Amino acid sequence: MKRISMVLMIIAIAAVLAAPAGAAPKKDGKPDGGSLSYGEYGRPATLDPITSNEMISLRITELIFNGLVGINEKQELVPELAEKWEASRDGRTYTFFLRKDVTWHPLEGEAPKPFTADDVVFTYTIMMHPKTITPLKVRYEFIDKVEKVDDATVRFTLKRPVLNALAKFSFKIIPKHGPANQQYLTRDDRFVQHPIGTGPYMFKAVTPEREIILAANDNYFKGRPHLNQFAAKPFADQNIMTQALMFNAIDMIVLVNPRDIPEIQGDKRFVLKPYNALSYSFFGYNVRNPLLADKRVRKAFTLAVNRQEMLDSFFNGQGTIISGPFAPGSWAYNLDVQPAAFDAPKAISLLQEAGFTRGADGFMEKDGKKLTLSLKVPIEKESEAVKRVVLAFKNYLKNIGADIKVEFKEWQAWKEEVFLEHDFDIIFASWVFDDSADISSLFHSGEIGPWKNNFGGYANPEVDGLINESKLTLDHEKRRTINRKLHAMLAEENPYTFLWTLTNYAAYRDKVRRVAIHPYKFFSFADEWFMEAKDQK
Amino acid sequence: MRIVECELRIINVAVRTALYLLGSMCLIATPVPAADDPVQKAMKAYEKHRYEDAGRDLRAALPSLGRSNQPSAQLTLGMIYLRNAELHRELARMSASVNPDYLRRISAQRGAGRSRFSDLYLGLALLEGGKIEAAASTLERFLASGDDAKYKAIAKIGLGTAANLDGDQQKAQELWRGINSNDLDVKTELAAAYSRAGLRDKDPVRLCDEALRDTRKSGKAFSLMAVKNCIGVYGQAAIPDKGFDLLSRADLKSYSYRDAIGKSKVLSFYDVQLLSNLSVFYLQASLAALEKASADQQLKGFASYYLGEAHLLAGNADQAAKATAAFLASAQMPPQYRNRAMVRQGAIQHKKGKPSEAIGVWDDLIRRQPGDPELLSDILVTCSRLRIDCPRVAQTSAAAVESGDGRRFAILNVGLGRYSLGRKDLGKAVTYLEAGRDKGNKNKIESNDPLMLVGLSEAYYRTKKFSEALEIYFEMSKQFPQVRQIQEALQGIYSMEHKSAGDVKIN
Repeated sequence: MKRISMVLMIIAIAAVLAAPAGAAPKKDGKPDGGSLSYGEYGRPATLDPITSNEMISLRITELIFNGLVGINEKQELVPELAEKWEASRDGRTYTFFLRKDVTWHPLEGEAPKPFTADDVVFTYTIMMHPKTITPLKVRYEFIDKVEKVDDATVRFTLKRPVLNALAKFSFKIIPKHGPANQQYLTRDDRFVQHPIGTGPYMFKAVTPEREIILAANDNYFKGRPHLNQFAAKPFADQNIMTQALMFNAIDMIVLVNPRDIPEIQGDKRFVLKPYNALSYSFFGYNVRNPLLADKRVRKAFTLAVNRQEMLDSFFNGQGTIISGPFAPGSWAYNLDVQPAAFDAPKAISLLQEAGFTRGADGFMEKDGKKLTLSLKVPIEKESEAVKRVVLAFKNYLKNIGADIKVEFKEWQAWKEEVFLEHDFDIIFASWVFDDSADISSLFHSGEIGPWKNNFGGYANPEVDGLINESKLTLDHEKRRTINRKLHAMLAEENPYTFLWTLTNYAAYRDKVRRVAIHPYKFFSFADEWFMEAKDQK
Repeated sequence: MRIVECELRIINVAVRTALYLLGSMCLIATPVPAADDPVQKAMKAYEKHRYEDAGRDLRAALPSLGRSNQPSAQLTLGMIYLRNAELHRELARMSASVNPDYLRRISAQRGAGRSRFSDLYLGLALLEGGKIEAAASTLERFLASGDDAKYKAIAKIGLGTAANLDGDQQKAQELWRGINSNDLDVKTELAAAYSRAGLRDKDPVRLCDEALRDTRKSGKAFSLMAVKNCIGVYGQAAIPDKGFDLLSRADLKSYSYRDAIGKSKVLSFYDVQLLSNLSVFYLQASLAALEKASADQQLKGFASYYLGEAHLLAGNADQAAKATAAFLASAQMPPQYRNRAMVRQGAIQHKKGKPSEAIGVWDDLIRRQPGDPELLSDILVTCSRLRIDCPRVAQTSAAAVESGDGRRFAILNVGLGRYSLGRKDLGKAVTYLEAGRDKGNKNKIESNDPLMLVGLSEAYYRTKKFSEALEIYFEMSKQFPQVRQIQEALQGIYSMEHKSAGDVKIN
């Protein structure tokens, strides 16, 4: 080891040493066996951790891949692929010492390949390649370089110290021998549909019904997971998913439709488990459309919709109206900013202020152009409740003279039109955040472009400045203050009409035991889940 | 006399008791239609745990009520204030736990971004939590820095209170004597310190009256510091009317001091003592209202039931015993609430230093009604309040929830959760309290006892489920804006503690 000034932060070596090497069962006395089938809201576009930007993929990749570090149930950083690490005193160098007993999921007919420092360097390099399609680059711009020290040691040099740096090394590592294109990763690469990881479960197949089947990794370095198989079943309709649970067609729903909670509650066959994903729903605007570039128009739309009425009517009131770009359970939420009250007359006067007048057909127009806009909604969102929300939105806006044309799109087509082609005026969707409350990829002008999260093309130098400042500071309270300012500003600017956070419950059959759920990644602790032998059929 | 049909929606034992009594009151005297009856409206708000709304609206309606309705209105107010006092006591406990944790972290910061006020407010928070030595040294540290007279005076008053609590009255008096109380906030701080020390000769009520009067004259709004202090003074002096007038003009979510450090850092500091002062205030208001109600012969028995509970909350075991005995002897005693009163009698015995008699009372009750979830829950919550181990009750209860019907046993899950929390068994506390929560209305106080939610928030906080805890207070703040001090501290700790990479996904 080089003699640079280092502060040892060696964590839980004992835990690592205690873990079995190679094909060993867990030593917790719980039985292996059984399979778990869970309902999802659709089919993920990709199954790798780099190109994906959706929750369905995230949940799958959590079962297949590992990071250098992980987080345990007590919210502590723990070793994963790195068994220990060192951070330099100035916070600019992180050296990870990798486990030597980890192998990649084997390809059929091949021996498993060992995990090495080359894979870590490869992952970072391909992730940051300009042609790689990924929303992750903005998160890792603070890394200056990565070097392989030896097969089991890798060193990251940062451009500057950052807050919570170690947690950022939880990004998932992919194998160098995985992608066909060794330079950059796109959605055309076979790897994104046939992932190879180091995690507790291995990708096995996609059935004709589009179920994704994962099998237990006997060689998992933390010990073989207890359950033999995970199957992700896609459902286009939330009501059917709940019925599938009630009639034993699936064992788990990762996110229960709030309307169905009363039906499941009190049924002793099921466990309802709350988990607090920091999420919210919104109508997002494409400010490339000159009609929507005027913030008075966007604000008018926000004022025109009665959010509480929609929440009460379509979700039984099981959620919370929000006022800005953070979830209410987040540390960054500005408690002083109240949601704008429903006020249709004020909305109309704002449109008039923006130069609109009522046409003969009752719709607003400006410079001879009618206020007609497209609203694109992914078909997976075509649940009864979402349909109602979308139609209510259309009606609310009709009341103030805006003509909304609703289009339901197949998930992949919707994503391409929104994130790649930017061919939309308004979308309805939800974001889910981990608890870092990082909104930079959503609203920074540097994040405008193909497959980037600032799909609406929102640009505001003041917002950019605040986001940059928050990334540079090492002071938690300063970052909090900046986020509060961002909240207030974006609540006023309305790049979205921020709607609500819904109640999050997972539901599962009580035969599945020791279920702990990560609030964001969901399956982080699934290797510990088990079923008693009598329940495994 | 017209008999009014009263809606009896059953949520929990306390509410059921209240509604039973409401039903009884409806039968006693109800000269106005139910829909317009302020007492009925207040009870409905009470049932939904909206204590602030319930109390405010009924107070406002008091002058319009006839003489015959005054006793039932006072009884209702007494019940509302009692629940509010109990809730604020729990909120104060939570705040006195979370705020020092937060303030310690920002106080430990060094360099230009540090706020010296973190020492002042940490010292005051430690004082509130009873950590006298640590409070004194932290306040001394604040005094050694900076030169703003007002806040130095506040720190000195705090030091005096620390000395007084430590038994050194002379030092306390010396520290207080030297205070220049020209500043109105300082004057109220001094009044609060005198009141807390029981120095009636210093006339803390007059000091508060003067300070508030002068503030009004100046056209300024009351500072939260003044509100916090004077609500405590009026509470201790049992002058509810003045206190309610003050509260009606106060913004309880407001901060006490805001420190802007450079362009991009603002720290808001809150008065932790506000919540405990509100608890004392509401408890005194409850006692006063219940005493008024008990003057009415028809309501005397009902009022005794709550007076017993209020006296016990106030720590007055003798008066609690007297009132509870009066209730049990009363012809008006609803038989189904005998259990609660008996459980309370056990608690009173325990307070009087007779633990075996207390256990005997509870064991006897359980023997007579084995597996009754409400009874078991009531005993468990009582054990938790008394901070005692009740292993047999806990075991019986755990077995009962395992085999019992989910909905009926929700209340026992809550009891087990609160008991587990008291024993610092956080994993079990979370499991039981989550099981007892109405999942269809996760954090809504209308569907969940806010006391349970505060307990769950503490369990979440201790297990680092910060966002879950924050969501509870986000909902609660709609009725109780004074929880802002807990929200801000939780947010601050969460922002430092979280370990995430900065990910976001579309859903």
